[in-house]
Amino acid sequence: MSVVQNDSEVPGLTLKEINVGKSQPAPSGQQAIFKWLKRLLVSDYFILMFTVFAFVVASQFYGRLSNPVNIVNQLSNMWPLFAIAIGQTFVLIVAGIDLSQGSIMAITSVVGAMIMTGELNPSMFDKLPLWGILIDENGGLLANSNLAMPMAVLAMLLVGVFIGFLNGLLITRFKITPFMVTLVSLIFFSYFALWLTQSRNISGLPDAFIRLGDDGQLVSIYIGQKVDSEIARRDIPTLITSATVIALSLGLVASYILNRTVFGRRMFAIGTNDRAARISGVPTNRIIILVYMFSGFCAAVASILYTARLEIGRPTLGEGSLLLDIIGACVIGGTSLFGGKGSIKGTFFGVVFFTLLLNVLNAARLSPFVIDAVKGTVILAAALLDITRTRLSNSERAS
Amino acid sequence: MTTLFSTDGLTKAYFGVPAVQGISIDVKAGEIFGLIGQNGAGKSTLMNLIGGVVQPDAGMMTLKGKSHTPRNPAEAHHAGIAFIHQELNLFTNLSIAENIFIDNFPTRGWGPLRFVDRRKLETQSVDILKRVGLSVTPDTIISEMSPGERQLVEIAKALYFEAELIIFDEPTTSLTARETERLFAIMKQLRSEGKAIIFISHILNDVMAHADTIAVMRDGVLMAQEAVSEFDINRMINLMVGRKLEQLFPPKSAQVSDKTVLAVRDISAKGIVKDIHFDLYAGEVLGVFGLMGSGRTELARIIFGIDEYDSGEIHIGETSLGFHSPRDSIRNGIAFVTENRREEGLLMNINIADNIGLVSLPQFANSLSSMIDHAQLNGAAKRASQALQLKSGDIGIQPAKALSGGNQQKVVIAKWLLSDPKVFIMDEPTRGVDVGAKYEIYSIIDQLAESGSGVLFISSEIEELVGMCDRILVMNQGEIVGTFTREQFTPDAILRAAFRETIADNISKAEVAS
Amino acid sequence: MKRLYENNLYNLLINNATYILFVIIFAFFALTSRNFFSTDNVLAIIKNASFVGMLAVGMTFVLLTAGIDLSVGSNMYLSAVTAGLLMRAWDIPVSMGLLIAVAVGAAYGAFNAFCVVKLKIIPFMVTLATLVMGRGIGTFLTESEQVDLPEKVNAFGQLRLLGVPMPVIVFLLILIVATIILRYMPLGRQIYAVGNDLEAAKKAGINTDRVIASVYVISGVCAGLAGFILASQVMRVDRSFGEQYEFDAIAAAVLGGTSLFGGTGSVVGAVFGAILLQMVETGLVFRSVNLYLQPMVKAIVIFIAVFLDSVRTENLTRLRRRFIRAEVEDVRP
Repeated sequence: MSVVQNDSEVPGLTLKEINVGKSQPAPSGQQAIFKWLKRLLVSDYFILMFTVFAFVVASQFYGRLSNPVNIVNQLSNMWPLFAIAIGQTFVLIVAGIDLSQGSIMAITSVVGAMIMTGELNPSMFDKLPLWGILIDENGGLLANSNLAMPMAVLAMLLVGVFIGFLNGLLITRFKITPFMVTLVSLIFFSYFALWLTQSRNISGLPDAFIRLGDDGQLVSIYIGQKVDSEIARRDIPTLITSATVIALSLGLVASYILNRTVFGRRMFAIGTNDRAARISGVPTNRIIILVYMFSGFCAAVASILYTARLEIGRPTLGEGSLLLDIIGACVIGGTSLFGGKGSIKGTFFGVVFFTLLLNVLNAARLSPFVIDAVKGTVILAAALLDITRTRLSNSERAS
Repeated sequence: MTTLFSTDGLTKAYFGVPAVQGISIDVKAGEIFGLIGQNGAGKSTLMNLIGGVVQPDAGMMTLKGKSHTPRNPAEAHHAGIAFIHQELNLFTNLSIAENIFIDNFPTRGWGPLRFVDRRKLETQSVDILKRVGLSVTPDTIISEMSPGERQLVEIAKALYFEAELIIFDEPTTSLTARETERLFAIMKQLRSEGKAIIFISHILNDVMAHADTIAVMRDGVLMAQEAVSEFDINRMINLMVGRKLEQLFPPKSAQVSDKTVLAVRDISAKGIVKDIHFDLYAGEVLGVFGLMGSGRTELARIIFGIDEYDSGEIHIGETSLGFHSPRDSIRNGIAFVTENRREEGLLMNINIADNIGLVSLPQFANSLSSMIDHAQLNGAAKRASQALQLKSGDIGIQPAKALSGGNQQKVVIAKWLLSDPKVFIMDEPTRGVDVGAKYEIYSIIDQLAESGSGVLFISSEIEELVGMCDRILVMNQGEIVGTFTREQFTPDAILRAAFRETIADNISKAEVAS
Repeated sequence: MKRLYENNLYNLLINNATYILFVIIFAFFALTSRNFFSTDNVLAIIKNASFVGMLAVGMTFVLLTAGIDLSVGSNMYLSAVTAGLLMRAWDIPVSMGLLIAVAVGAAYGAFNAFCVVKLKIIPFMVTLATLVMGRGIGTFLTESEQVDLPEKVNAFGQLRLLGVPMPVIVFLLILIVATIILRYMPLGRQIYAVGNDLEAAKKAGINTDRVIASVYVISGVCAGLAGFILASQVMRVDRSFGEQYEFDAIAAAVLGGTSLFGGTGSVVGAVFGAILLQMVETGLVFRSVNLYLQPMVKAIVIFIAVFLDSVRTENLTRLRRRFIRAEVEDVRP
């Protein structure tokens, strides 16, 4: 590191130094540093450390990054993405892919909203195919009922699981590649959501539901000087929200399934070699179907969190670059698209990385389009990094 | 005879571990050079050096009097070296002619607008195919050809490139007896044309019968390089193993009981097997012999529930298995060591302990939470691997792919041991396994029988069946054509039964059927 | 189920399932909608299919090597945007605009190729990333405004040769060139070889990097061309230009019998798949089906075709199963 710093001060001199250094056998201290760097790069926590490091550096340039309010905001952005990426991680581990997660988010968001919305303006919504059946000017099916929120959440989860079940069934029963099956359900269900709402957002969601988003703060913090006995509400950043608890619990359960249970071990077996797994008595079809159901479930959870935060049922939820965010987060976290490799911890770090990256780009006041361009580049860099890491850890194992 | 290819003090180490050390061989034009050695003896590394896959740390190679220093397979290829591998490198979606000319199509046209000259492609291919005795049109797609025919295409490719040194690496593993004979005839013809041939095989009799010179490798070192007349099978084995093998097979300690563990009753599957009927007793090692394509592997797959059958019944002890899946079989105590470890046996990238635990995971899990007791699982895996004398690093870390063939096979066996099976189906358990590990696998089979399991031992090597089994069933064309008890065992009689009908006849009929 | 594979009629039907599906759908619309089966309409279908069709031809090259190119839609957009902006800024002729679009498309493809071949990142990740990047760059260039093309492009767009619209002619040219490359040039045969077995291709001395790079460039060229031709029809390029075309292109190629695993497929099939998709869309318009329902029906058609293909593949493996016994006259159950 010191050499690099010298470089900027007296470039001519350092160049010489480097040359001299090269001609001599490398001192053991340098080797040790190299080894240490290598170990750091291969470490499970590299992405997290890198993210924190990058964030600290970036916050030197963009002061408001390190503002607690900002940090907390970013954390709350993270949870829905984490929830959905958990499901994708599962699918990738069994050597599948789920392109339909975005459409599951859209359809569940719409279905949930239609069940629990409190009121709808007839002039805007009376063209809807289900007008008068499920919804009318008094709102959704269970409008203003105490059951509205729990039933809507249940319905959203069930719809997500059902679409996942369809995906899994078609993949295993008819041996169609996951890519094509989930591509078809992506197209089908995104337009289904648009058709149901005729492209309109559905508002009027009950408070009980909206509290699942950011507003449902459970623990708040105040970092700063205690000046007055009263602190303005906006100065108290929310540290833990319902979304935090929901997404983290999902992550813990998923991590438990993956690492501790028979089911999880069998998933890795299927992803590594499904023929060998089948002959060893692994119920491959059942597991694959369950994995896609879980992916649908996770997408529905993410949909609940997003919908609650946006306070509307949105038929275009999950469009745009979400797929890139999800798969990018998984891959950065070390999950392989070829199956048999991946972890929830890694995906979590990937999501943190992604969220903070976005935050830095926003802080730099770049336009959303430039952000897209940069995001793509960063994903490529991350994929490259993963390749390097895999190569390094393989060579380490071999020696 | 003049030397065509030689190496001098060739040395290569991987991560400080020497794979070959100071190898000096001398291959003459117009000879078949037999190369033998256990798995891990360094044969593959030597071939990779010759073929330019890896580069030597020290030593040199000479081809046709010139220094041979290939930096990649393509350079070795252009220097006149051809490989005929066990796994063939053909493009199954292309025609024979396209396969032969894939990186050097005859073209016509100008500059970037060069088109494949189909006519030239055809005529040139026909000539080459004639030389290997393959009488099909060059536009035949590879996927429609048998393994033996495909190998001839590989040889045709080598001939087209005017290869001077042709290396056959275990060429007969997937061939029928007739195809094997044809292959040897072609090798001899190539020899008479002045080509040099390196012939690597685990089948020592073949090497004895066809090689002119034999080289034996052990632990990366050349043990001997002499004319074939200097060798007999015993000497070859001694050189390969480095100790005198007192006996090839362990003494039988198991007693056959009269308790049936597996009863197969008139199993038929159209076009595959017909009226298969036999009993397997506790403590028995029952051999199944048949030539390639006789239906032995298919029978094993049917019994284990991977493939369907049309009629008949399969009983395990008192239970009748109807249409069953591998899961049903496992639940009823059947284990199946498949013939191809890589595709159907192992999770190559996953550590040994998890491989061993795969079949019996639920045993080690809490039935309510489904949580695995890793300590218990690893303990059991460790015990199983110790019982089988598995040579490995930390079984919780080392992936299966880092093991030698024999040790990989032990992992597959260990995996099934944990499920405590009553019936062990082993399909070619010693294929691609070196001599030392073979003996160990035989001992395991004997111990299994001694512990009261029935073992169905499928093999295409008569000697090992004769050495190990209590009874041998012989299959031909999907039927059991003979049953031999221990006192009737003579390789001669068993072979004759297996050849009941000429294979040529069979193949032509099968073609009509499909 | 067990006896199905012995039935020759069944085999005949299932092996040509996509074509039969095509005929059934065509017959349905022709019989139920007036004017569906008219020269004008058939030409219109082919014309409207030609944009996705061009992409699908390029996509076939990529799929043949077991790769994938998700970025073609964004590539169309970026190529058309660049050509449009430059044409407006410098008043250059249409032919130059076309060349620019193709060059941008090729460069876009070359970037994909670089990441796949040199950086060794898997194609799915590369093209998913460049999908987002390309649209970002395009929108940045236009400052999120739509680009209106100069009037002379319209004249080019409306050209007809012997009554055949220009896009159809370009489409046909691409089809012919692609077929020649794939069937009659060494590169084409090597593309099939690489898709069948990459390792074997390396061992056979094929420059696999060059072959793989070339398919992404070809796909990029097709996308650039499709972008410009489509722009010449609609005369403006807005932010959603070419969005999700990659999915239609993949679907068209797969409908035409190209495998996602490489090694099998043909451009004629892809063209046919693109026309099938467009026919469904046009037919639904004729039947005045709700705008939102149209893509859903299309998705179902894609699914049916993919499903039939999987049945066919399974059927094929069953037929190819090695028979040991000759049991011609044997009629046991």
